[in-house]
Amino acid sequence: MEIPFTVTARKDTGLFNAKVGIWLFLASEVMLFGGLFSGYVFLRIYADYPWPERTLPVLPGLINTFVLIGSSVTVVFAWASLKMRQWRRFQVFMSLTIACAGVFLILKGIEYKAKWEHQAVRMDDFAVIEGHTHKAELDEKGHMHVAHGHGEEEHGTRFWANRLIFKTEAASFSLVRAYEPWVDTMLEQAKERHAELVASEDVFLYGHPADYPAPEVERKAAEQKLIGEHKNSKPSQHRFGKNSLYVAKGTPLNYRLLEKARGVFVAGRAGNAKVRTRVLRSKWDVAHAEHPGKPNWEIADRVKIEPADLAGKVVGLTPALSFDLKPAIPLVLKRSWIRNRPLAAGAEKASLRDDTSLTGHLEDSPIALAVDAVDFRFMAMKAEEADKNPMTVIERSWIFSEKNAHAEDFKKVWELHKKRIKKVEEHLVDKYGYKDEAKKIPDRVPTETERYRIGWKDLVQYARAQKMGVEPGQKEFAKLRPTMTEGFAGPNHKNKEYTEELHPFLELEIPHQKVSLESKFTPKWNTYYAIYFTLTGLHGLHVVGGAIVLSYYLFFSKGLYRRNPEWLANRVEVGGLFWHFVDLVWIFLFPILYLM
Amino acid sequence: MSAEAAAEDHDDHHHELPFWRKYIYSTDHKVIGIQYGVTALLFLAFGFFLMMVMRWSIAYPEEPLPGWMSWVFSEEWKARWLQDGRLTGETYNMFGAMHGTIMVFLGIVPLGFAAFGNFVTPLQIGTVDMAFPKLNMVSYWCYGVGGLLMLGSFFMESGAAKSGWTNYSPLANFADGQIINQFLAGQTQWLLGMVFLITSSLLGAINFLTTIINLRAKGMTWMRLPFFVWAILVTGFLLLLAFPPLEVAALMQLMDRTVGSSFFVPTGLYTKTAGVIEASGGGSPLLYQHLFWFLGHPEVYVLLIPAIACVAEVIPVNTRKPLWGYKPMVWSILCVGFLSFVVWAHHMYLTGMGPVISTWFQTTTVMISVPSVILLTSLIISLWGGSIRFNVPMLWAVAFLPMFGIGGITGLPLAFNLVDLHLHDTYYVIGHFHYVVAPGVLFGFFAGIYHWFPKITGRHFDTFLGHLHFWPSLIFMNLLFFPMLVQGMAGFHRRWYNGGDAYLAKAEDSVNVFGNTVAEWIYLNPLMSWAAWLLALSQVPFVINLVFSIRWGKKIKNDNPWDATTLEWATPTPPPHGNFTFDVGAYRGPYEYSRDDHEGDFFPQWEEPRKDKPAEEPVKEPVK
Repeated sequence: MEIPFTVTARKDTGLFNAKVGIWLFLASEVMLFGGLFSGYVFLRIYADYPWPERTLPVLPGLINTFVLIGSSVTVVFAWASLKMRQWRRFQVFMSLTIACAGVFLILKGIEYKAKWEHQAVRMDDFAVIEGHTHKAELDEKGHMHVAHGHGEEEHGTRFWANRLIFKTEAASFSLVRAYEPWVDTMLEQAKERHAELVASEDVFLYGHPADYPAPEVERKAAEQKLIGEHKNSKPSQHRFGKNSLYVAKGTPLNYRLLEKARGVFVAGRAGNAKVRTRVLRSKWDVAHAEHPGKPNWEIADRVKIEPADLAGKVVGLTPALSFDLKPAIPLVLKRSWIRNRPLAAGAEKASLRDDTSLTGHLEDSPIALAVDAVDFRFMAMKAEEADKNPMTVIERSWIFSEKNAHAEDFKKVWELHKKRIKKVEEHLVDKYGYKDEAKKIPDRVPTETERYRIGWKDLVQYARAQKMGVEPGQKEFAKLRPTMTEGFAGPNHKNKEYTEELHPFLELEIPHQKVSLESKFTPKWNTYYAIYFTLTGLHGLHVVGGAIVLSYYLFFSKGLYRRNPEWLANRVEVGGLFWHFVDLVWIFLFPILYLM
Repeated sequence: MSAEAAAEDHDDHHHELPFWRKYIYSTDHKVIGIQYGVTALLFLAFGFFLMMVMRWSIAYPEEPLPGWMSWVFSEEWKARWLQDGRLTGETYNMFGAMHGTIMVFLGIVPLGFAAFGNFVTPLQIGTVDMAFPKLNMVSYWCYGVGGLLMLGSFFMESGAAKSGWTNYSPLANFADGQIINQFLAGQTQWLLGMVFLITSSLLGAINFLTTIINLRAKGMTWMRLPFFVWAILVTGFLLLLAFPPLEVAALMQLMDRTVGSSFFVPTGLYTKTAGVIEASGGGSPLLYQHLFWFLGHPEVYVLLIPAIACVAEVIPVNTRKPLWGYKPMVWSILCVGFLSFVVWAHHMYLTGMGPVISTWFQTTTVMISVPSVILLTSLIISLWGGSIRFNVPMLWAVAFLPMFGIGGITGLPLAFNLVDLHLHDTYYVIGHFHYVVAPGVLFGFFAGIYHWFPKITGRHFDTFLGHLHFWPSLIFMNLLFFPMLVQGMAGFHRRWYNGGDAYLAKAEDSVNVFGNTVAEWIYLNPLMSWAAWLLALSQVPFVINLVFSIRWGKKIKNDNPWDATTLEWATPTPPPHGNFTFDVGAYRGPYEYSRDDHEGDFFPQWEEPRKDKPAEEPVKEPVK
C-alpha cells in the first residue's frame, strides 16, 4: 500500500506531501518563536530594573550570522546537486552545511560557557557586582581562606567562594523529606574532616499499634529493656515487634537508615489514619442518626474524635531523627540549600529546604571574587524613584564605606570614572550644544550605562591609563580601550597582560547578609538572561536537530539515492526549508538580542 | 490508489504483521484511531472519578470519604493526602486541577480530534491512510508518554499538580517548590507531560492537514467534503497555530521551576515558607495568562468542533435529507476558527487590563457567537421536514442540540466584561462550560461512537443498553449542571472545597448578605453530587454494551447498515489495510438523500453516474 504523492506532486496543489507538511510545521514554529519574541517584548516593556542593553559580545554573534547565512546557501546547492543527480557535489555541499552548523554551535558554546562561569551579585542596596569567584579552602580552625593561585584544579577540599560555612554541632533529618544527595554530601564532608554523624539519643520508631503500649510507664519500661538488651554491642538500629525500629544512641548515619526509619514512620502514620478515619466515620454515622435530615454544615461542629476513642489503637510518631556531629565541623553549603535566607551573621540555626535542621554557628563566609564590573544603574534608578540624588546615594553605598576592606581601591576607580564622565559631558556639549540656552540643559548627555556602569573594558582602560599616566580627555585615552577581539566572549581573567602587569580587576569580599541575589549569568540572574537563554537555547536545539537530520541524509542516504533519487531530493528539499527557517529565526534573534 | 493495485509494492504488507506491529506499534490510521479512542475513554473515566471524590467533599463537608469511594486508595496514600479520611483543601485542589487537565487534554481532545479524526477522515476523503503513517504512530506514543507522566505524578511525594488546570503563576511556580529535585515534583511533571501532549497534537495536526489537503480522492473537491472533514481541518489549524504559545508558557514555567528564572515572578514576591523569594523578579504573571489563554480559547473550539462534526454526520443519515445550509456552515466554521484566535482575553477581564482592551475582546467574543449560532441553527433546521429515525445515535445527536444551546447561551453573559465582574470564577462559569463539554461535546461523541461502531466492528450496539445509557445520562447531566448556573449567580466560588460551608452566615439574624445567599442555595450541593454519582452509574450500560457487542452484537447485514452516502461506508467491514477495494472517487456531494431525480432513497457519493442517464445537476434546494 503506497501513499500517493510522496514523491510526485499532486496536480491541483502542486505539492508533494512532505512539502505541505513542512510548511504547516513551519507555521507552528513561527507561532512558537513568535510566542517567545512576544514574551521578550512584554518582559522588556514591563521590566522594573535597568534592561541590559548591548551587554552581549557582538563578535561571536556576528560571525554566527554569516556562518548560518552561508550554510543556507550551501544547503540549496546540496539539494540542486541531488536534482541534477551529482552525488559527489551533494556530499560536498551537505558537508559544508553541517560544518557551518558545527561552527555555529562551537561559538555558541564558547559564549554560553563564558556566561556560566561569570558571577553576578546584587546587593541589598541594589549595587550590582560582577566578576569571577575565587576558590577557597578551610583552615584547621574551620575559617575560610581564599585560595589564590591560578588554575582551577579541583583540590578535594577547595570550593567556590560563594558558599556558606556553617559550623555544625547537630543535624536533624526529616524522615520523609531528607534529600539523599545532600545527606551524602554532608557525610562526605564529615569523612574528609574526620568527623562522624551519630544518633544523638536512643530513638524508638513505632509502625504498628501492637508494639506501642498505651500507658506511658509501660512503654518506657519496654524501651529501657530494649536499650539494655543491646547495650553491649556496637550502636546500631534493630527491628522489634511487628514493624518498629530502635535506633541506638551513637548509631552512625547513612541514608539507608533514614529510609528504614521512613518506612516505619509511613506505616505508623497509615495505621493511625486508618483508625482515625474509622472513628470519625462512626461519629458521623451517630450524628446523622441523631439529627436526621440535617445537612453536614449544621452538625459538623458536634462531630469530633475524642482522644479516648484512639487509646491503644494509635502510635506516637517521630518525624525526624537527630544526629550529633562529633567533633563539630564546618559544613560547606550552597546558599540555595538554605530555607531561612538570608542567614544572619553568627546564626545558630540553619534550616535546609529538605527540612533538615542544623544547629551550630554560621562562620564568616563572604563571597570572594575578582570584580570586573560595578553597576550602579539599579541603585540610581531606585534613588530617582525615591526622589534622591543618585550620585549621593552611590557614594554612600557599602562598597565605598569603611565596612568594605577594599573601599580605597574602589574609590580610586570611581574618581577616575567621574573624571571621565565629566569629559564626556563636556565633549557632548561642545559637539551638540544646549537645547535650552537659558537653563543650560545640554542637548545630549551620557547614557545611564555610561554614567553608572563601570564595565570590564572601563576597568582595563583605567588601569592602563593609570599605568601610563594618561588622563581622560586626552586622545591616547580612547586608544587604551580593549578591542572587539581582546574580549571575544567577555572579560578574560586569564589574559597575561591583566594577570601579570595591569591587575585591572579588583578584589572584593561581600558578606552574605548584604547579598540579595547571587547567580552566574544564567536565566536566574534576570529576565533578560532568562529570555536570552530560552530564545537562543531553543534556536540552538533546532540547529542541532536540523544538523542531525541533514547528517542522516549525508551519511545514510546512498541506498535511497540509488533506489529513488527524486524521493531523496524531496527529503533534502524539505530539510533545507527547515534549515532556512532556522536561519531566519537567527536573523531576527541577532539584532534584537545583541544589537538593541 | 486501491489496495489491489498496490499489492505488488512493499513486501512487509504481504504477510501478516506480528501482534505488536499490528496492534501496539501500528501505523494504520484505523488502529491508531481505536488506540486513541480506548485510551481517551479510560482517561475520561479516571477524570470522572476524581470529580466524584471532589463532589463528596462539596456535598458532605467534614465527613470522611465513604468506603465505596476510598477503597481504591492505599492506606499510605490516604494517610498522606486525607485528614482523618476527609478530603483536605490541598487534595481537593490537586484533584480539581488534574480533573480539568485530564478531561481536556487527555480525554476530549484525543477522543474527538485524534480518535474520530484518525479513523474517519482518510475513509471519508477516499484515501488509503494518513499522509505520514509513522508520524501518526509517534503522535499516539507521545500522547501515551504524556498521559503516563500525568498519571505518575499522583504517586510523587508532592502529589500531582494542584494549581488549577490553568496552572497560573505565581502559585504554579511555587507549588511543590519544597521538592528539591524538581523532576520529581508533580507540578514540573505536569509541565513535562504538557510538552509531550502538545507535541503529539502538533504532529497530529500536521498529519491531518496534509492528508486533507493532498490526499483527497479524485472528484473529492472542497465543497463535496463531508462537513466532518471541514471540521477536522479547522480543528487541525487551531491546534497547529494555538498550541505553540502554550508550549512557550510551559517551557518558561519549567525554567522558573528548575533553573530559577523569573519569567512569571514579579519583584518582591513573598511566600510564607520562604519569605521574600530569592529570585531576580522583574517578571510578569500576566505574561503567563496571555500565553495560556492564547491557546486556551482556541482549545475550547478544539473540544467543540469535532463534536459538531459527529452530529453533522449523524443527522443527515437519520433524517434522510441533506444537511441544511452546508455552505454557510462551512463558512461559519472557518470564521469560528479564525475568530477563536482573537477572543482569548475574555478569560482575563479581571486582571486589570483596562477598558479599552476589554472592549476589543468583548466585541470579538460577541462576534464569534454569530457563526456558532449559524452552525447550531443549521443543524436544528436540518431536522425540519426530515423522515427522522430515532435510533440511538440520533438520540444523542438530537440531545446535543439543546444541551449545546444552553451551554452556548449561558456563555453570552460571560462575554460582557461588566457581567463577568460578577460571574467570573463562580459556579456559573463551571455550569456554562460543562454544559458545552459534558452534555454537549460528549453527547456528540457518543452519537459518533454509536454511529460508526458498526463500521469499526461489523456489529450493532444493543439498542436497549443504548437507551439505558442515554436517558439517565441526559437526566443526570441536567440535574448536575443546571443548579451550578443558579449557584454561580448567587456567587458561589468555583474552587470552594467544602461546598461553601465556611461562608454561611452564622447567626440567625445575620446581616451578612453573602452568607445569607450562600445559605439559600447551599442545599443544592448534595443534589448535584448525587446526580454526579448516578451519572457515573449511567455509564455502566455503555461499558457493558461495548464489551458485549464487540463479540456478540447483532451482525450487520451489509457494509452500509445506515444507508449513508459518505465514502467510509463504501469499504468492507471492518475496513482492511488500504481501506478501499476499488478505485474510489467522489461523484457528487456528501448528503444526497431523497433526491427528486434519483429513484433510490439515497445516492451514495461513490456510486458512479450511470452512462445512460443525463448528467447530474447539483441539487440546490433541500428536497421537500
